[in-house]
Amino acid sequence: MIRSHATLLSLALACTAAAPALAQQVEVEEFVLPNGMKFLLLPRHEQPNTITAGWVAKVGSVNERPGITGISHFFEHMMFKGTNSIGTRNPERDEEIRDRQNQIRDRMNALIWGDQYARYFDGEIDDPWDPANDTEELAALRGELKSLMEEQQGRANAARIEEMRAQLADYDDEDARKRLESVIDEMEVEQTSMGTVIKDEFDQVYTREGGSGMNAFTSNDVTFYFITVPSNKFELWAWMESDRLLDSVFREFWSERDVVHEERRLRTESTPTGIFQEQFQAMFWIASPYQWPVIGWPSDLNSYTYEDALEYWDTYYRPNNLVGVVVGDFEIDEIKPVIESYFGRLEGGAEEAPQVVTLEVPQMAQQRMSVTADVQPQVDIWFQGVPFRHRDRYALEMAAAILNGRTGRLYKSMIEGDEIASTARAGVDARKYGGAFTLSAEVKGESTPEELETALLAEIERLKEEPVGDRELQKVRNQVAADSFRSLQQNFLLLLQLGYYEGLGGWEEINEGPARLQEVTPEDIQRVAREYLDVGRSSIATYYRSEDAAPVDEELAALDPQLQAMVRQALAQIAGQTDITALEEGLRQMEAQSAQAPPQFKPALELIAKRVRERIAELEAGE
Amino acid sequence: MNDRSTTIGVTSLLVAGCLATAAGAQSDIPAHPDALQFEPLVFEPPSSADYRRELPGGIPVYMAPTGEFPLISLTLTFKGGAYLVDPADTGLASGLGTLMRTGGTTSSSPSEVDEALDFLATQASTSVGSTTSSASMNCLKSNFDESLAIFMDILRNPAFDQERLDLWSSEMVEGMKQRNDDADSIMRREFSTIMSGDHFSSRQPTLSSVEGVDRDKLTALHRRIFHPDNLIISVSGDFDPDQMMTTLAAAFEGWEGGEAVPEPPAPAPDSVPGVYRVEKDIPQGKVMIGTRSITRDDPDYFSFLLMNEILGGGAFTSRITSRVRSDEGLAYSAGSAFRPSVDYPGVFVAYFQSKSPTVALANRIIFEEFDRIRNEPVTAEELETARQSFIETFPQNFSSRDAMLGIFVNDEWTSRPEGYWETYRDRIAAVTPEDIQAVARKYLDPEAMKVMVIGRWDEIYAGDENGRATMGDIFEGRSTEVPLKDPLTLEP
Repeated sequence: MIRSHATLLSLALACTAAAPALAQQVEVEEFVLPNGMKFLLLPRHEQPNTITAGWVAKVGSVNERPGITGISHFFEHMMFKGTNSIGTRNPERDEEIRDRQNQIRDRMNALIWGDQYARYFDGEIDDPWDPANDTEELAALRGELKSLMEEQQGRANAARIEEMRAQLADYDDEDARKRLESVIDEMEVEQTSMGTVIKDEFDQVYTREGGSGMNAFTSNDVTFYFITVPSNKFELWAWMESDRLLDSVFREFWSERDVVHEERRLRTESTPTGIFQEQFQAMFWIASPYQWPVIGWPSDLNSYTYEDALEYWDTYYRPNNLVGVVVGDFEIDEIKPVIESYFGRLEGGAEEAPQVVTLEVPQMAQQRMSVTADVQPQVDIWFQGVPFRHRDRYALEMAAAILNGRTGRLYKSMIEGDEIASTARAGVDARKYGGAFTLSAEVKGESTPEELETALLAEIERLKEEPVGDRELQKVRNQVAADSFRSLQQNFLLLLQLGYYEGLGGWEEINEGPARLQEVTPEDIQRVAREYLDVGRSSIATYYRSEDAAPVDEELAALDPQLQAMVRQALAQIAGQTDITALEEGLRQMEAQSAQAPPQFKPALELIAKRVRERIAELEAGE
Repeated sequence: MNDRSTTIGVTSLLVAGCLATAAGAQSDIPAHPDALQFEPLVFEPPSSADYRRELPGGIPVYMAPTGEFPLISLTLTFKGGAYLVDPADTGLASGLGTLMRTGGTTSSSPSEVDEALDFLATQASTSVGSTTSSASMNCLKSNFDESLAIFMDILRNPAFDQERLDLWSSEMVEGMKQRNDDADSIMRREFSTIMSGDHFSSRQPTLSSVEGVDRDKLTALHRRIFHPDNLIISVSGDFDPDQMMTTLAAAFEGWEGGEAVPEPPAPAPDSVPGVYRVEKDIPQGKVMIGTRSITRDDPDYFSFLLMNEILGGGAFTSRITSRVRSDEGLAYSAGSAFRPSVDYPGVFVAYFQSKSPTVALANRIIFEEFDRIRNEPVTAEELETARQSFIETFPQNFSSRDAMLGIFVNDEWTSRPEGYWETYRDRIAAVTPEDIQAVARKYLDPEAMKVMVIGRWDEIYAGDENGRATMGDIFEGRSTEVPLKDPLTLEP
């Protein structure tokens, strides 16, 4: 049950009192089964007739290692492929086929990691995994694997049938054509009966019983599976979910890789910035396992074996690493026994899942990445922040809130004021084992990523130099108070928050977080800005549009890379300047100061001076 | 461990052994979920009349109070949208939607309005869509009166401040610059054009149409749409209904009415069936295959709904997803969608994306599925799964107060026939395999399909290495190249 009650959150709030001081209390029933699986139950009759339920495995890409990156996400796919009860009409025969598939694929992997990798390192082939580069032996194994998959799916004769169907058109004789057709039909019936798989039965059962919104996601820290069912069918959920936790068999363990490769192409490789964001993360995280993408590196995606999967399963999908969450139209007394009898079946031992021991190391220098692509020119600036549980997270979140929104500082200074940005925002990315404070902006008009960078960092300096004003902070506090109710209005959002918070630190965050945010003071914000937001230890990505980058300014490119950004900015200003007097004045000043400039700056100053003269000549010619 | 099944076997035995002495529930677990028994769930859809009132002057108000949170949510829905705008002014509608909220009022500057709302933590938004427009507000109950005053000022007296207008226009231009960056955005634009031709639903703003937006045009469109004779109110949250009626009556008093808006026009595409392609350097080909379908109130609606569900609408249980994704691993997402419009026949679309060499194969599978659902009756099992899915999820349409109010408002605006929701489940249950085959034959003519492909055409055309399919297999290998348009002028 969710109850609202008014409390006085802080003196400041009481003084300015524009919005009432309110706090919500989500009353969750928490209990732990003898096997260690925790459940969070939240009856809510406001949304009648449905129950939204899910479970979290406290595992994500952070728990992986090189060689098996992406396996957490791959498990998310595997969990929909059935058990010995769901997804097969012949579990024994299906297991035989799977065993043979594993043997063949292990042999193939050995060949690829051996011979094909060697050929790749020698420069003989461009991709050791591409079937086009298969040796004869590999190609034969690949063919064998494919026919086993087709047999399993009930398509053992698919290729032959396809061929025969194509021949049908050539038959002029009606009777002969009909005879062939009936032969084909018989072959189809036969191959179907040989198949051991009932495809997507997991989905079919839920679908015909009125399940909806069935899905799952994998993040760096957690894997989350959820669905909404009619409120009279909670037992169906318990059956289906406990069955797949008890008895998943990783059906389609090899063929599903193709789907995940397509998912990677879709999300990472075919979007304007996907591949660059992936590489930025790889640069930002130094020691931390957050450096690899959740979907995994392509070669790893091909590599994990059935053994790897079993080890991972036994380590991270044991009941004491799982949390069930149920929100909706139910009575606790009615569903608790159902949970006990179904999920009580899981067995896993008392041993805790291993701790991620690698702590992120402090970044000691600025890191930069420069991208040229079909994208709106933009900039991302990331600072090392704090993990989810860290006490300073609340002050960093309030700092981001001060910068964000239509009346926030970034909008006022960059979008409305200088009109150099079309979007600008700050964020806190707090993960279980580390975190970041992030800034990003996209250009507007003729502005450059360098100008955006300067403007974003100016706002960071302002946070460090002066305390946030009372009214400004009060506004953000009022928004935190209202949003803390808004985020509790839907069962699905409640489920996500409870599961996610529990995975990262504790579900109690749903009640405590808003209050902790209210307590943040102007001094706290100033302190965390000074402590965490050091540009000298930030990671910056600048994006340029492909056509802007060409033609390359050769004189600029000849300069020391460290000077280029500064000069590029100056050149942009010169190009935009139409006042000849101002240009001449600038030129005089530069010439006067050039004597004192350090020698390494000389080439840069000379280039700027040259361009100013050219611009003056151009403007004079125009008059 | 070497053998997972052994591990499981031992585990199960241990568990079974331990629990054999404990009582009951454990042994009741059936071997398959089909054996589970459920208490019946009795649900009758709510009647809109129970929630409907009228303000003096006849403005309908739908109210659903609840005290769960100290919030109040108010939505005003208006008829009319982008179709009222002259094609030369495309973008004016979205400009009005943005600038009512951001352009200040005749008595308060834009930043005064922004600051006041943000300090109250009140969310207010206005939008002008393609056929309907809306304004909504969500605030803490404690400052409802203050918030409502600002909200009504925005609605009744927008000032369309010139600086904010310039800001909007320059932001639109920045958005346009990114039009060709993302293949999905190219797909939406070009597919819509081949399906609907020059129609308000497919028109896109250009540099000149956006720069032509001025305060006079905004004011004129505002008067046409946002007036109390063209309005339905819905409100949910923590309030007393009688008091709310009094408050709303006072807020709307003296607001001048206007004329009814006309109905939206139907599309008249001039493109012919066939393959259309856009060149884009991405590792995947993206494909949409479309044809015109039916209106929402068409007698074929329920048959079409279930036909689409079985063909490609029902995610993993549908034929297209099953074959393209599960069998062949050719795509991460593949399926079909059916978007009926109220005023004119909507679009049916099948879609997928696949690595370039297997686009033709996936495309061929989809055309095979068009043939199959036209030529053979669907199985009883498929139909049962689809029917049950709609019947069992039916209560979810009304699962939140806002969703329920949304249905009431939409039904009143679109004059949904009486009894629609009361008979919904019976009409789903009445659909037969013959009905499904009949709508498939009537609407899914492979020769009438328009196929839009984005990607590296040469690789896509050539097809897969095993020679199972090429793009030469459909429409005799003919295709029409759609040149990438200039992002600002939309000229080729």
